[in-house]
Amino acid sequence: MILEMKKFGVILNNRSAGREAILRMKQIVNGIQEDELIFDFMGVELLTPSFADEFFNGIKQSYQDKKIILRGYEDNLVIKDVLKELNLI
Amino acid sequence: MQLRFDTIYKNIDNIIKGSTIDLSDVDFIHPWPLVIICLLMVERHKNPDKELILPKNPDVLDYLKRIHFCDMLRELGYDKEFNSLNKIVKPESYNLNVQEIMHCNISDEFNARLGHINLMFQNFGLNKDQANFATNIVAELGNNVFDHNSGNWPTDIGGCFIVAQNFPTEKQIEVAVGDPGIGFLGSLRARFPHINDDVEAIKLGLRGNTGRIGEDRGNGLGFVQRWTIDDLYGNLMIHSGNGLVEIGKNGIKKSNVNKILGTIAQFVI
Repeated sequence: MILEMKKFGVILNNRSAGREAILRMKQIVNGIQEDELIFDFMGVELLTPSFADEFFNGIKQSYQDKKIILRGYEDNLVIKDVLKELNLI
Repeated sequence: MQLRFDTIYKNIDNIIKGSTIDLSDVDFIHPWPLVIICLLMVERHKNPDKELILPKNPDVLDYLKRIHFCDMLRELGYDKEFNSLNKIVKPESYNLNVQEIMHCNISDEFNARLGHINLMFQNFGLNKDQANFATNIVAELGNNVFDHNSGNWPTDIGGCFIVAQNFPTEKQIEVAVGDPGIGFLGSLRARFPHINDDVEAIKLGLRGNTGRIGEDRGNGLGFVQRWTIDDLYGNLMIHSGNGLVEIGKNGIKKSNVNKILGTIAQFVI
């Protein structure tokens, strides 16, 4: 299943927004049989460590049986840096 | 009197006279001292004898008007001073190097301004990647303000003050983010009760420690340091309580200075 991160906003900032995004994610993803979750960052302008840390920790805890794939971040130096430092890529 | 990061502490005793903040002899003011002035105003805002003596220098008065310092005066109850500064009627020159002071009272307000802040950095001449790094630094500094103070502000004025200025001749951008909050020491004491020194508290925070017990978090300042120094070749300064820490590529410098309410963090690139 492909999830377009820009649909949560082009500026993804702070932990409370990250927590809210997880809750929305669960509504979208729950019950789906696919074993891959693909997060596409195309169109996202800013991603802060606070949001990324909160969001992906929550995703990993909730979907331990699914493979998490990130893409669409390659051309954005800052998003790439955040994901790399948090060991997400 | 020029108020810059490196002159404010030498001059602060000439500025603070009890409940009066005297800016009469100020000929130039940078973002860092301006945020200190805002925090001093917050500290005194309930005092009926509070007073702010505006600068005599007409250029500084024009600058304060241009950056909407009037809004701070009005918000913090400096009515006489607000009326005096507001009388200056001048068309706002279209100068992208000068930006209005932002006081974001709540996290949502701060978050909503990040798009504007990103554009501001692009208008300062940064390329897209540099503007994104700089905006993320402001975002993490602002997030810390709300994450560590919400529900626990020492006075009834909360939020963060953001002042940014581009100095094209010097090829320098200064961005200061201040808050009238509990400071590094107040936040970290919950988890590290043995700390009683502001400088030590700042250093502990910079190493990724957080005062929020039972939560796995606290790497935001690590990103802020790395982006400022390694990616934008700048310096980071943090003043909390009476501790001042400066970090750059040449290392860390610590000192004890005048006590403030809350914290100011600035990056200079």
